[in-house]
Amino acid sequence: MHEFLESMQYSEFGLWVAGGDTILAYPTILALHTLGLGLVVGMSAIVDCRVLGVGRSVPLGDLDRLFRVMWGGFALNATTGVVLFIAAASDKAYQEIFHLKIALIILALVTASRLRRMVFRRPIPDAPIPQAAKTLAVASLVLWTGAIVAGRLMAYTTTF
Amino acid sequence: MGAFVTWLRDTPLSQAFRVPLEWLWPACESLHFLGLALVIGTAAFFDARLLGFMKRIPIRTAAQFLPLARVGFAINLTTGLYFFIASPFQYAFNVAWWYKVTAILIAVANAGFFEIMLRSNAAGLGDGEDVPLSFKIVGTLSMVAWVNVLFWGRMLPFWAPPGSGADL
Repeated sequence: MHEFLESMQYSEFGLWVAGGDTILAYPTILALHTLGLGLVVGMSAIVDCRVLGVGRSVPLGDLDRLFRVMWGGFALNATTGVVLFIAAASDKAYQEIFHLKIALIILALVTASRLRRMVFRRPIPDAPIPQAAKTLAVASLVLWTGAIVAGRLMAYTTTF
Repeated sequence: MGAFVTWLRDTPLSQAFRVPLEWLWPACESLHFLGLALVIGTAAFFDARLLGFMKRIPIRTAAQFLPLARVGFAINLTTGLYFFIASPFQYAFNVAWWYKVTAILIAVANAGFFEIMLRSNAAGLGDGEDVPLSFKIVGTLSMVAWVNVLFWGRMLPFWAPPGSGADL
């Protein structure tokens, strides 16, 4: 396993990402990862806040498309995330804070898709929002906040 | 500039921010990224509406989510001020920081222009009616400016002068 991680990290591609003498390598990939974060967590915050009472006059069904933007942002971040992982594979793979970040992201995505099915897909006009949806919205905000904190803290933990 | 930055770095507040309050740095960074998500997400949503997407949502209704952007901006202004006070040399002589600040000023001026000059016109728009060109210009400028804020912000550690205390 460790040899596999190292072979990724020290492949031509891994070395280019980590240390390529161009702003297009690590800095730009990191910037794209941050843009994706903004889209994923930002869209999530909007739909969560809508469920919790912000912008009540916006019909729930009209916000359904924000989930598509959220998944688009996630696709960007899954891609850039894999690339950033390759560039530091033999270190990141053993960071507990990285494992926690991945776990929080999976939980947040499951929460978002359950919330989408519960209230945003084919909503019944003027129906009150169920308590379970409000709980999911709070869970979503907490999970994304946790994922961001874990992601930031990865910069401070180096295991090698 | 050098004199001001040196003075700022040597103030008791700046010193306290570095030690013993060094734990504030990662805490503020986490908050800064959370604020970033609120600003970028809400701006993307509202700017898309100004460009003519989601016409079924009236602009003044979409504007009900703008407080999220204001909260995010307030968080980031506060935490950003902390970073600057704690480590002024890292930013004052970093061209990426000046690009970022310029982009912030453009984004804020653009939002202010919309609030004062254009937002009242939005009430006159009928359901599904095409948006005026002025809205599309404001929406495009806003998106470009905020993406620049994010990009140059992310470039800060890579463009900081050597030995100025930047970390990634």
